[in-house]
Amino acid sequence: MNSKSLLLFALLTAPAWSQTRPAVPRLPDGTPDLQGIWEAHNTADANLEPHSAAAGIHAGEGVIVDPPDGRIPYQPWAADQQKENFTKRATADPVNRCFLPGVPRITYMHFPFQIFQTPKFVAITYEYVHASRTIHMNGTPHLDDIDFWMGDSRGHWEGDTLVVDVTDNNGETWLDSSGNFHSSAMHVVERYTRASPDTLRYEATIEDPKVFTKPWKIAMTLYRNTDKNAQLYEYECHVYREKQPEQSK
Amino acid sequence: MKIAWSTMLAAVVGTAVALLIPLQMDAQGRAGRGGKQQPKAGPFTRLPDGKPDMQGYWETANFFTAFDLETHEKAEFGVPAGKGVIIDPPDGRIPYQPWAAAKKKDLVEHHMFEDPQAHCYLSGVPRQMYTPFGFQILQPPGSVLLLYEAFHSYRIIPLDGRPHISEPIRLFEGDSRGHWEGDTLVVDVTNQNSDTWFDMAGNFHSDAIHVVERYTMVDANTIGYKATIDDAKVFTRPFTIAFDLVRNRDADYQQMEYACVEGEKDLQHYTESEGAKKK
Repeated sequence: MNSKSLLLFALLTAPAWSQTRPAVPRLPDGTPDLQGIWEAHNTADANLEPHSAAAGIHAGEGVIVDPPDGRIPYQPWAADQQKENFTKRATADPVNRCFLPGVPRITYMHFPFQIFQTPKFVAITYEYVHASRTIHMNGTPHLDDIDFWMGDSRGHWEGDTLVVDVTDNNGETWLDSSGNFHSSAMHVVERYTRASPDTLRYEATIEDPKVFTKPWKIAMTLYRNTDKNAQLYEYECHVYREKQPEQSK
Repeated sequence: MKIAWSTMLAAVVGTAVALLIPLQMDAQGRAGRGGKQQPKAGPFTRLPDGKPDMQGYWETANFFTAFDLETHEKAEFGVPAGKGVIIDPPDGRIPYQPWAAAKKKDLVEHHMFEDPQAHCYLSGVPRQMYTPFGFQILQPPGSVLLLYEAFHSYRIIPLDGRPHISEPIRLFEGDSRGHWEGDTLVVDVTNQNSDTWFDMAGNFHSDAIHVVERYTMVDANTIGYKATIDDAKVFTRPFTIAFDLVRNRDADYQQMEYACVEGEKDLQHYTESEGAKKK
């Protein structure tokens, strides 16, 4: 193909391509516009793996896309630990003590969150226990020797996907309410891609050589709240627990 | 990191050793504290839309405000002496109705361990503005976002002219709506609950509180902050506080995570302390 026919080919095929893939809305600085209020609608917080229904839990297929069997690749000792966590989950789940849920669990708690974008920072504010994350987009490195409940987030764009590298997690959060867990060696890489006007594709690769035999990956759709004037409110878990302790147990 | 920060909260909430605070902050390498002379800053910059660029890390220049909005002539348990920030009424006192003045006195004498911050409650507005340890301002399209280090609180201030939320909904940090009057960001705050205080001196309000904040860039490193506070159930008239917010100019500064609920051990120490027992 010479250069003229290549140009012709490009001109002929471009409209067809743009019809099948709507243009991603962009902010004035050219980055994809991910701003808005989003929420997961799945059973991931009950259990990341396929699970039956139980009291207060909807049955679900799970959200693990790799490995293909949809199971978390635990080291043998860690598989035992998860079983023990499950048995003790009513008291041992950090979320039942109103603690910060960590990443990625905060994403699929059944509460909305809002994404804000500036050239140097992406911020995510969560309704659940007013958690927030500041994702540094200015190329600065992770902090050393400090650990956080919500980790330390550094982001960059790969094409139209926001990629967030999360390290410095503490080992005190769980991945769901079934006792799936990690250590402070956990490293998470999240990918946020606008899949349609009102959905985001969310993927997170989870790696922890102290707990898992290999990295594994979850994926899910996040849905936009399209209600007029939608906004976040507050869910102050520990306050309600303190004021009505008998109802929180 | 949670231990270090909650230790600092213990210093603020639980002890009378006010001197400890600036010393610890200096140990963290923070700028702009302890009455250091501020070099004259240049003019502030503007965003592409022409609005003042207020983005960055900020904190109150006067850490005493966290202890008491009013001038406190004499140090006592939990509150050092210091100068207040009330510019109206001219006497610098909160214009309490008589019953409310009596309630404030009772809080100071018998209920200081009920300070909502000691229970890891969100601080409310304006208290969140002068609670250590500073905050970050972001100006994404359509809103102003305030991300505070203390209690990892945040406030979302929509600029799109939307109405406030329904009256029955009550929030610790209230419901904020912003608009620009020239170069001043004006924020109307309603829908607060009655579970927050103004400071560590028992100054309080009801759920009828209405706050109007004004943020004015003075120069590249200074925001003039003013808040007019009205509450017909508690005060005889509105009152106004004013102070400067100064930019943290440490080039490497990053905000940390202040996880209060997760590491909270201070309340027990406070109620068991000698000072609390004397009350």
